Amino acid sequence: MIGDLMKPKVAFFDFTSCEGCQLTVVDSLQTHVDLLDAVEIVQFREAMTEKGEDYAIAFVEGSISRASDEARLRRIREQAAIVVALGACAHLGGINAIRNAQPLDDVRKYVYGDKADWYETYPARPISAVVKVDAVIPGCPIDRDEFIGVVKALLLGKKPPLPDYPVCVECKRKENVCVFHKGGFCLGPVIRAGCGAICPTCGDGCEGCRGLIPNPNQDSMSDVLVKYGLTVADMLARWTMFGTYQQMEAGS
Amino acid sequence: MSLRMIDKGSMAAFVSNLLQAYEVVGPRAKDSQYAFGRITDYDQLRLDYNTTILPPKKYLLPQEEVLFTFQTEGMSAAPVFDTRPRVIFGVHTCDIHALHLLDAVFATGQRDEHYLERRAATLIVGIECLTPCDEHSFCKSMGTLSASEGFDLHLTDLGDRYAVEVGTPAGEALLARYAANHGAGESEVGLLDKMLSEKWPRFSYRLDFDGNELPALMAVSYKNPIWKELEGRCLACGSCNLVCPTCYCFDVQDRVSMDRKTGERIRVWDSCQLAEFARVGSGENFRKTRAERQRHRFFRKGKYIPDMHGELGCVGCGRCARACLVDITPVGVWNALHKAHTA
Ligand code: SF4
Ligand code: SF4
Ligand code: SF4
Ligand code: SF4
Ligand code: SF4
Repeated sequence: MIGDLMKPKVAFFDFTSCEGCQLTVVDSLQTHVDLLDAVEIVQFREAMTEKGEDYAIAFVEGSISRASDEARLRRIREQAAIVVALGACAHLGGINAIRNAQPLDDVRKYVYGDKADWYETYPARPISAVVKVDAVIPGCPIDRDEFIGVVKALLLGKKPPLPDYPVCVECKRKENVCVFHKGGFCLGPVIRAGCGAICPTCGDGCEGCRGLIPNPNQDSMSDVLVKYGLTVADMLARWTMFGTYQQMEAGS
Repeated sequence: MSLRMIDKGSMAAFVSNLLQAYEVVGPRAKDSQYAFGRITDYDQLRLDYNTTILPPKKYLLPQEEVLFTFQTEGMSAAPVFDTRPRVIFGVHTCDIHALHLLDAVFATGQRDEHYLERRAATLIVGIECLTPCDEHSFCKSMGTLSASEGFDLHLTDLGDRYAVEVGTPAGEALLARYAANHGAGESEVGLLDKMLSEKWPRFSYRLDFDGNELPALMAVSYKNPIWKELEGRCLACGSCNLVCPTCYCFDVQDRVSMDRKTGERIRVWDSCQLAEFARVGSGENFRKTRAERQRHRFFRKGKYIPDMHGELGCVGCGRCARACLVDITPVGVWNALHKAHTA
């Protein structure tokens, strides 16, 4: 189904995003040149000018934030045997979705000023809200090793493994002093691992860029944030940094 | 075995002598806390530490280890063993008891050669706790505030010198070879006895009952409503297991090269509090709720392990209590169960 099994054709696409995840891909290719032997890249605006339309695997970065995005994404879905959401914007809606909680006209005026009417926009959504997604590489930006791991799994014809346990597991394996014990705040107990707990390892709390674990105990997590000194308003703001779309869906 | 003395002034030389033949690991400062780490200079060794984030178990059952490497063509595999000679310096008595239990666990049934090979290359130098590490420790209730075995050497701080109890012939050889030491005089034996008897009242029993009653208490606590209450609080973050000196569950994974020709099988620490821990091959998850997983955890510590190995599965180190952000603690849970049962 994915064409030449030994060397599948892959393409990269972007929607509303900062292109940071694609940059991480470019970076990974430099440290893993063996990847270029394993796949053939036919489209990658960030890194090359040639353009092929016969791809089997599509990596899609960015959230869907206007009506015209949808047709383009659907065309990608029709062509590709496998669609992979690349990074938090495509996976969760991400940072772009923060504005969903505000009146859209205000947001548009704030961003585009008197040219607001020139630009179409609507509430930002993850790509899974529009098309079926086969695999996800979470993170803002994505983790290099995980990107390589997902490609390897796809080449083996396996569903890419995504950790279903929280960041605390990786954090504890690294023997970090817990951010809460240093007076900080962290969403690690309910956020999906896979980043190697990079933020707590550097002394910052996890902000949730990889999305929630399955069955998170969010109520208890909220209580912890307040118990350790956050105001209720700040606690709620923590959940919306990367999770606005999910919070609003859960609430609606 | 015998009792020897090392003057504090001779300790730096002892450690630097050891470094010529061994990797030495011991407690080091980490931010405001402590962690076992590689010692390359005596000054790094903080024998005055209270407790460490992770127990010294990580040197016998590392967070992640390669079990064997393999080649897919011809299906050949080569096991990987870590047999570097190592001294774990400054192990508290609760952790000595925990390692003693792990030794039994990994030698029972299917012998775990990866653990046992490391263990055979490891020497343990313990150190006596003279004050409680903090408010979470309950070693006294669990019978781990002293240790009569499980170490090669065991130090007690007598002010300007350490009393050194020799636990094994290997420990005796280590001392003879690497440390300037002398036999204990009458006054030194007296001082040691005084220190050891004076330390006892500084620790409190934190369980409302004797730790040895735990298996019996657990046997009547399966249906206690407390498990339901923990369901609401527990975050299923796994921290309590990951910091525990007696937890030994691991997950096995394969890492394959990009060309799919070579790979390695690794094992990593796992936790029974994680939602997917008890999912089996057929897809069924036999401990779906946090309540069931919490119950399992406390049954492991209080009943299943003692039933299997004759030693309690908790040594009262308090690490899980320090790590838990929602204050679920063995002392809290077990005292509540005890109260419910005796009420
Ligand atoms: S710092 Fe965050 S991820 Fe690490 S243990 Fe604490 S809560 Fe968990
Ligand atoms: S620690 Fe949290 S915020 Fe940081 S990369 Fe990992 S998931 Fe994202
Ligand atoms: S540390 Fe606390 S919150 Fe986390 S799994 Fe253990 S009991 Fe639950
Ligand atoms: S259950 Fe808690 S107190 Fe008991 S040995 Fe494990 S970490 Fe220490
Ligand atoms: S729990 Fe007891 S034996 Fe263990 S470090 Fe603390 S005081 Fe020492």
